[in-house]
Amino acid sequence: MKKKIKKYFKVWWLLSRNSFMSMLSNRLGSIFFLLGKLIRFFIYLVFIVILLKGTNSLAGYSLNQTVFFYLTFNLIDICSQFLFREVYRFRPQIVEGSFDLVLSKPINALFRSLLGGADVLDFFTIPPLIIAMIFVSRGLNPGFFSVILYMLLVINSLVISAAFHIFVLSLGIVTLEVDHTVLIYRDLANLGKFPIDIYREPLKGFLTFIIPIGTMMTFPAKALMNLVTVNTVLISFLIGGLFMFLSIKFWKFALTKYSSASS
Amino acid sequence: MKKYLQVLKITFQQEFAYRLNFIMWRVRNVMQIFLLFFLWTSVFSDPARQFFGYDRSKILTYVFGILVIKAIVFSSRTIELSRIISDGTLALYLLKPINFFKYWFTADVASKILNLSFSLVESILLFLILKPELFFQSNPIYLLLFFISLVIAVFLFFAIVFLINMFSFWAPEVGWALPFLFIVIIGDFLSGSVFPLDIFSESAQNIFYSLPFPYLVFFPLQVYLGKISIPTVINGMFISFGWLIVLWFSMKYVWEKGMKKFSSEGI
Repeated sequence: MKKKIKKYFKVWWLLSRNSFMSMLSNRLGSIFFLLGKLIRFFIYLVFIVILLKGTNSLAGYSLNQTVFFYLTFNLIDICSQFLFREVYRFRPQIVEGSFDLVLSKPINALFRSLLGGADVLDFFTIPPLIIAMIFVSRGLNPGFFSVILYMLLVINSLVISAAFHIFVLSLGIVTLEVDHTVLIYRDLANLGKFPIDIYREPLKGFLTFIIPIGTMMTFPAKALMNLVTVNTVLISFLIGGLFMFLSIKFWKFALTKYSSASS
Repeated sequence: MKKYLQVLKITFQQEFAYRLNFIMWRVRNVMQIFLLFFLWTSVFSDPARQFFGYDRSKILTYVFGILVIKAIVFSSRTIELSRIISDGTLALYLLKPINFFKYWFTADVASKILNLSFSLVESILLFLILKPELFFQSNPIYLLLFFISLVIAVFLFFAIVFLINMFSFWAPEVGWALPFLFIVIIGDFLSGSVFPLDIFSESAQNIFYSLPFPYLVFFPLQVYLGKISIPTVINGMFISFGWLIVLWFSMKYVWEKGMKKFSSEGI
């Protein structure tokens, strides 16, 4: 097992290095891309600050809390993009039939399609984001246990995000559609920019349990603020596990539908 | 004129040929409105509350207005220009006996008609589902000025998109980058299509108003909502029209420069 993990890490490292090299060959484009992301991040942050200065609270949350929700959303979103960027490059492989080459290699095809080529550009933005989160969270006075729970729930969010991406890949094999599905996932995830409490029922329930954006984006931050019950935490992990289980089942089903078109 | 009617028809057919793409694009637009609608509903949970000069009905009208105005102003086929310059297929268009600017403007009009039709249906459905309190402008002068500001916005957007896509003449490998930045910063924020720009301080608003971007979405919506006096509206129209002239001539100038630079190997 240890040997297998070492092998997969080595492959991931190689693929990510290649992805970084390819990014370096297009430096100007990468700079523009990163610049766009940073500007979008800061403008939204300014908007939240101005909004909360005017209204004092949003769905019962203070400025500090709302900013922390926003930063947590960004952390999960950026980590997902950093890890699962290869999903955005999956469609041509299916349309052109080059997915055959992935299937024929002695490496798990899901691993290759999901994690093959981390986006280093996103990685650069993670450390400053974490520093900002530490700075903001100091005003929330979290306890040691809350911080641990927060980290566990963030990992659970990444598991849910991975499951979403596996669903996108599987749908891509069945329908040949990836680009829009992944963008719809991004738009859905964006609904978690603000605490899920701003939504009315039944949308709130839908976003918590059916498409668990609330579980992904809001619950970790709530855990840090000591606003979750034991049941909520258990349900979050249950949703994470269930989503991952269903997505892998769907992936296995989708593979049986792959027809190797055009190859 | 007949030629352009054919372009209109062909563009319609092209949009319908990729139905799933189009439907997904519309779904994404609606989801973006969901976030804004619930955000502002939460802020204005007390109907008597007023923030940044908006009451609940006006801010929700602003959110619904974004959906419709973006369909009119931001629906565009001209965004493909960067790609056709980069891959050299521009040469095929240049060989056609048709005015290049009018061709793309007509294609834009087709896209706008289609998107507007869908956005109206979506607005009605969202209205029935969410049952928001909306503000309906009844003053004919404001309605007329709103219409004029929309027309200026359409031409302004065309000129801006055309201009930034021509960046590909000089940097074909990263021709997509400038339009991307434009969509992220201007399309989303400086035009007021994520939040109204009057939540910012007066000095920031003065800077925004001196740029062409607020005249794409924010200004027409301010006119519709009657939030600015008629002299201020007229003043804004002069500024936006001034920008339109500057950008239109810049577009023609950059096009001529770009044509001298353009090459299309292998086409």
